[in-house]
Amino acid sequence: MRKWAFNAFAVLLALLFIFPLAWMILVSLKPDGTSVYSLADWVRWSDLNTDNYVKVIRDSSILRWTWNSLVIGVLTTVIAIAFSSLAAFAFSKLPFRTRGLFYIVIISGLLIPTEAILIPLYETALHLKLIDNIWAIVLPGLTNPIGVLLLKQFMDGVPRDYIEAAQIDGSRSFGLWWRVCLPLTKSAMVSVGIFYFILSWNNFLWPYLSITSAENMVLSAGLPTFLSNNTMSLNLIMTASAIAAIPTIVVFILLQRHIVQGVSMSGVKG
Amino acid sequence: MDTWQPSARPNAAPSRPKRRSVWRLELRAILYLIPFLVPFAAFYLWPVLNGAWMSLHVWGIQGMEKYVGFANYRKILDNPDFYSYLWHSFYFVLLCTPTVIVLGLVLALIINQNLRFRTFIRSAFFLPYVLSVSVISFIWLHLFDPKNGPVNALLRLFGSSGDINWLTDRHFVWWALTIATDWWTVGFVMVLFLAGLQEIPPDHYEAAKIDGAGAWARFRHITLPGLSRVTKIQIFYQIIASLKLFGQVQIMTGGGPGDTTNTMIRYIYVTGFKKDMFGLASAQSILFCVIMLMIAAIQFKITDRKDG
Repeated sequence: MRKWAFNAFAVLLALLFIFPLAWMILVSLKPDGTSVYSLADWVRWSDLNTDNYVKVIRDSSILRWTWNSLVIGVLTTVIAIAFSSLAAFAFSKLPFRTRGLFYIVIISGLLIPTEAILIPLYETALHLKLIDNIWAIVLPGLTNPIGVLLLKQFMDGVPRDYIEAAQIDGSRSFGLWWRVCLPLTKSAMVSVGIFYFILSWNNFLWPYLSITSAENMVLSAGLPTFLSNNTMSLNLIMTASAIAAIPTIVVFILLQRHIVQGVSMSGVKG
Repeated sequence: MDTWQPSARPNAAPSRPKRRSVWRLELRAILYLIPFLVPFAAFYLWPVLNGAWMSLHVWGIQGMEKYVGFANYRKILDNPDFYSYLWHSFYFVLLCTPTVIVLGLVLALIINQNLRFRTFIRSAFFLPYVLSVSVISFIWLHLFDPKNGPVNALLRLFGSSGDINWLTDRHFVWWALTIATDWWTVGFVMVLFLAGLQEIPPDHYEAAKIDGAGAWARFRHITLPGLSRVTKIQIFYQIIASLKLFGQVQIMTGGGPGDTTNTMIRYIYVTGFKKDMFGLASAQSILFCVIMLMIAAIQFKITDRKDG
């Protein structure tokens, strides 16, 4: 009996966590101008419709922003993982003499967050003519050392025999990376990649500063522009939020095991 | 240089004729680092150094205007605003870090039980974490609406009289930000605690049960010590995340009411991008970096000393 009550409590708590999202979706499906206030509004489903979605998608660039976020997320993740894996390989498998020095320089990147170097970063982007360009978001996303750190740990676990066997087969160092280390760290790369993609997708402050046109805007930074537009009703604002949230929620439901694993691995070891 | 070796030391020093191959190995290894190092240097190392340089100048969005030495720093440190924004940032740390850690631990302990609908419950707790800060700020901005928001409606249901102006009343605004942030990020804390719980060997619990230890004793003497490493990591992670508070404030309160919720990062943002004083904002950034480095040093000491 006590166990049953505890289980009911846990489910109730879970529903409480979902409540804000359920509310957002409900408001977005109600006719423009109506509010969800009483319990009666929750259970009256006859007036639900998708007009708000049509309106938001037609009158704003939100689909374009979603596309931009996706492109930037994929580019950042793929390039960052490839570069991090190469660096991790050098640190793990090539006994060069300056590696301690380089390792410390790269790991120092964990100390100072982007938020603390906003101004000079903006100055750099300005000089490289990257302002209002999607590469202004991708390139700084490649500096996260956590991928190097994690992939190095995994490559350290690649058995020496594998390396030696490949060397006997005549593999040079690039072959060792491509044919031995890369395939053996695939699951780690997926985990780190998911972590990077979430970071990129949700990155707010830097895109908010470095992207100025509606055309190049990303989802997270574009959303607040709806607030400065006073003509928008609560229903439309919640519709815009829902459009931004729904792809994330769907992907999460599909890939949740990998996502939870990726986040917990990157979090614990980082 | 050998003392810097991060892990497995390479084979002993090469003999003389091998010198050339040592250099070749050196260059080849660096070749593997270059793809990572180029963006890293351009978008991390250089901005850090350039920020220090800019902080010594009057600098606008057009570029350098004149060298002023440490005048920017003096200006910041003489201005009471700096201390009040710094305090706001740390105040948020004091509210958010303990609450999110305790709540995350509680959720992890719940999930760690043998429950029905366990996957659903875990997903529900974690889901908010994958949303972007603008989405969660939009949702809570309206959940906290004094007249039509569900939060006040719920409180009214429980008999509270008078509406709480969550985002415009200085007594409640920090709690509103904390509630929204906890809801958003607690899933992350929970998942890390779950990973930590799974590392505690089950036979420790068995042994304690045989010895007659109650649930509370098992929690205090096995679970908590078993989680100490992951707890320490999380505390520092959350301190730094809380200090970086910007998005929620920018969207939900705009720094208000008055100046109550202006934080360090928003201070830098306003000085640099709203007032166009890049030099002054760089000096603020450098001070912020120093604070971050101090926290990292404390973290290093604490996690190093106890875990070897």
